[in-house]
Amino acid sequence: MRVKSILTEARQIERAVTLINLGARLQVLESETDLSYERLLRLYKEVAGKSPSKGQLPFSTDWFMTWQPNIHASLFLNIHEYLNKVSELDEIDAVIKAYQLYQEQTTAQGLEGLLSVTRAWRLVKFVDNGMFTMTPCSKCGGHFVTHPHEIAKHYVCGLCSPPARAGKGKAAGGIKMH
Amino acid sequence: MNTDQILTEIREANLSYLMLAQSLIRSDRDQALFRLGISEENAAMLALLSPAQMMKIASGSTLLCRFRMDDDLVWGLLASHGKGGAANDTTSRLHASILMAGRHREAA
Repeated sequence: MRVKSILTEARQIERAVTLINLGARLQVLESETDLSYERLLRLYKEVAGKSPSKGQLPFSTDWFMTWQPNIHASLFLNIHEYLNKVSELDEIDAVIKAYQLYQEQTTAQGLEGLLSVTRAWRLVKFVDNGMFTMTPCSKCGGHFVTHPHEIAKHYVCGLCSPPARAGKGKAAGGIKMH
Repeated sequence: MNTDQILTEIREANLSYLMLAQSLIRSDRDQALFRLGISEENAAMLALLSPAQMMKIASGSTLLCRFRMDDDLVWGLLASHGKGGAANDTTSRLHASILMAGRHREAA
């Protein structure tokens, strides 16, 4: 579908630029705007100063279930839900704004922003498709990303009860438990 | 602190809060709702305040913003006197952020 309105197009380009600056993959732009592939490609090169990375998007749901990524994903998704509850936003704007807030928090706390905007976008899609949901932890009450069939009564989050070797790594910017 | 001092300090805090809130709302309303933890209606009101109105609202004997960590769990995580060193500081704060971001009831 080609865009007719110049205003709509301007808004879409603005969105695309924001997404590129956040590090989004080209596939995200293709799916979230009506701009043509050629224009997006040119825009990408202009904004990022390089060609977009090629290859498939990370599509696995397993990544979100591993310890550190799950905590990052949960923080993002909580912010995302918050924004969706308090204001009416277009789906992609909610992702952008929530991602900016997520990034801000991780940077402020000296953590590596493990969740890329592309992954964040996928996560929201996974939740929409019912492949993921949020389950409250039975200990702290915080909401965490889980598979939909998680038994809420027994669910304990990765921060209340981290796996044995979790958080012992020396890598800078990681979540530490000591 | 005598009464005059208290009132002056409260007014200053109120005024800074109102001004900050207003500029946050004007730069990005949706993100401001998250940062401030207020409802959309309140944000709309705050955004429209004139400087004179702000001065008027700010000068009272009570603070306009309130404490958001009204439970022991989040408070313990933020102040790090909860679990006795099980997690490090950054991790506790991350945990607190997740808990606080999950609370939209107070805003909506």
